[in-house]
Amino acid sequence: MDILSDLLLGAATAFQPMNLLYGFIGCLLGTAIGVLPGLGPTATIAMLLPITFGLQPESALIMLAGIFYGAQYGGSTTAILINLPGESSSVVTAIDGYQMARRGRAGAALATAALGSFFAGSVATVLLVIAAPPLAAVALKFGPAEYFSLMVLGLVASVALASGSLLKAFAMIIFGLLLGSVGTDVESGMPRYIFSIPELYDGLNFVAVSMGIFGICEILRNLENEHERSVGVKKVSGLMLTHDDFRRIRGPILRGTTLGSFLGVLPGGGAMLSSFAAYALEKRISPNRAEFGKGAIEAVAAPESANNAGAQTSFIPMLTLGIPGNPVMALMVGAMIIQGITPGPNVISEEPDLFWGMIVSMWSGNLMLVILNLPLIGLWVRMLTIPYHLLFPAIIGFCCIGAYSINNSVFDVFIMAGFSVIGFTLSKLRFEPAPLLLGFILGPMLEENLRRAMLISQGDPTIFVRSPLSLSLLIVALIVLGMVLSPSISRKRDEAFTE
Amino acid sequence: MLKIRNGRDFVGGAAMIVVSLLFIAFGRELDVGNSFQMGPGYFPVMLSLLLIGIGVLIIVQSLVVAVRDEPDAPANWKASILVILAPVFFGLALSRLGLAPTMFLMVGGVSCASRYAGWRHSIALALFMAISSVVLFTRLLSLPVSAFGPWIPFLSN
Repeated sequence: MDILSDLLLGAATAFQPMNLLYGFIGCLLGTAIGVLPGLGPTATIAMLLPITFGLQPESALIMLAGIFYGAQYGGSTTAILINLPGESSSVVTAIDGYQMARRGRAGAALATAALGSFFAGSVATVLLVIAAPPLAAVALKFGPAEYFSLMVLGLVASVALASGSLLKAFAMIIFGLLLGSVGTDVESGMPRYIFSIPELYDGLNFVAVSMGIFGICEILRNLENEHERSVGVKKVSGLMLTHDDFRRIRGPILRGTTLGSFLGVLPGGGAMLSSFAAYALEKRISPNRAEFGKGAIEAVAAPESANNAGAQTSFIPMLTLGIPGNPVMALMVGAMIIQGITPGPNVISEEPDLFWGMIVSMWSGNLMLVILNLPLIGLWVRMLTIPYHLLFPAIIGFCCIGAYSINNSVFDVFIMAGFSVIGFTLSKLRFEPAPLLLGFILGPMLEENLRRAMLISQGDPTIFVRSPLSLSLLIVALIVLGMVLSPSISRKRDEAFTE
Repeated sequence: MLKIRNGRDFVGGAAMIVVSLLFIAFGRELDVGNSFQMGPGYFPVMLSLLLIGIGVLIIVQSLVVAVRDEPDAPANWKASILVILAPVFFGLALSRLGLAPTMFLMVGGVSCASRYAGWRHSIALALFMAISSVVLFTRLLSLPVSAFGPWIPFLSN
């Protein structure tokens, strides 16, 4: 069995004591920061990226993956306990989870979230093991034209799934692509948009950019309408689920996992879309639909399983194609590049222990989260009560040191400050920052493949439609675009986001 | 007569046009080349032109479609400016004052951005951040930055 030996190889890496420790620290830190109100996975990872710089690549990525699940999970805890979803994917969990908490069933809601997430995580890991190698094998046959079309599809899909105005999402992608062109031109070695600043020869640092846009900018927004958060968290008890609960959550967990696993693979998809879709599905088919909104346990189980499954399977395009589908994966790609690994289909064959180690660590990380979270829930509840006015100066402090430590240069700290202003302005104008980051990460790759493809075809743009693979990718992109533009779908889309 | 029905989008569209024009202006030395041999300027210029187009569409939309939109929270200028200046101060002071005093001053200063901050809590937090960042970053992660810089003559080495 090939898969078995791969998994054994992965286990050998993932279960090394140091890597288990880093995975554990990652889960712990991720949960601790993810629990803090207003800090979702993207901000948490952006903030904690620098602490992984000194580690071995395997350990760094295992730790980052742990931070990601931890932050994702921490978001559900705040959603359930204080009705404050830390990130967009736990918005729907907050609806019924908080109602359950108010009725004294916080423990049951948290346990459901943990069990659902663990089950979904395990299934999605298996999917990843099965799907990744063949996908990477296909991707190895990709030429520049196919890669270009694939990235176009990824960018279009990320627009399709963004909330708000499509035009603005497109504008953000292009703005991001433009920002990505800052730095030395790969083909000619010519400096572009550098203004004689030596630090810019390598381009804008994406950690600094994302810390500004997602970390500091969030603080700016929160301080605009700051109000005292009187957190009325009661003691959480009753973590055990009843027999009846188990019966009720079985179906939703299975359906949520299936839905999330598929939606997670889509570019632009991932955790958020999965949780919304799973909630909508349960609301339609559940026999207890009348209870939805008033504390239905199904409405916690389904989205929580779906968002964890989606979070997990969103690693598939990132690991096999090197194409990040969402901002978190964009940060992961950045982390790999910093570690000297070029993300893409070659990772499986060139770094098998890293690849399989990371996958096995996803499963062990999910297990750790269950063990970590249920008994330690009291600790997280206490963290929730830290007032914001003590929190945000500390976050700014860590962001500054983090930005400095990327290149041991204060230039990145200034970049971070600059991008917090840009992000703040954009959010005032109702532009979403996520497509900007995706464009920024994909920009250089997109340009390189475009130029190579055109060089191969001697300037003939039909190269993108002559290859069947490239053509079909572009057709899918067009279909996605058509679907979003058609009014009935866009109305549905609004519904999904307002629900 | 045209009336702006959505001021926010009007400004947003205009901002996108300004951004593209800036990229075109600063990139005008870059060789554009042709579609066979694309120069370093080809990609940015094409993108800028595309962004101008989208900016125009956003502006047109803002003149045609009225949107109900929740108003912004009232601006809190003092908080915003403090938060934006904090990293700038950090960047300027780090090599001169060293990590500990920079962190202390920055955290203490920026906590004034909150209405609920009391000075006792702020000083305690600033001290805590200064000490823990020195322990964590200069001792444990050995970042190349000293706890006290040349402007603190007695403590720097």
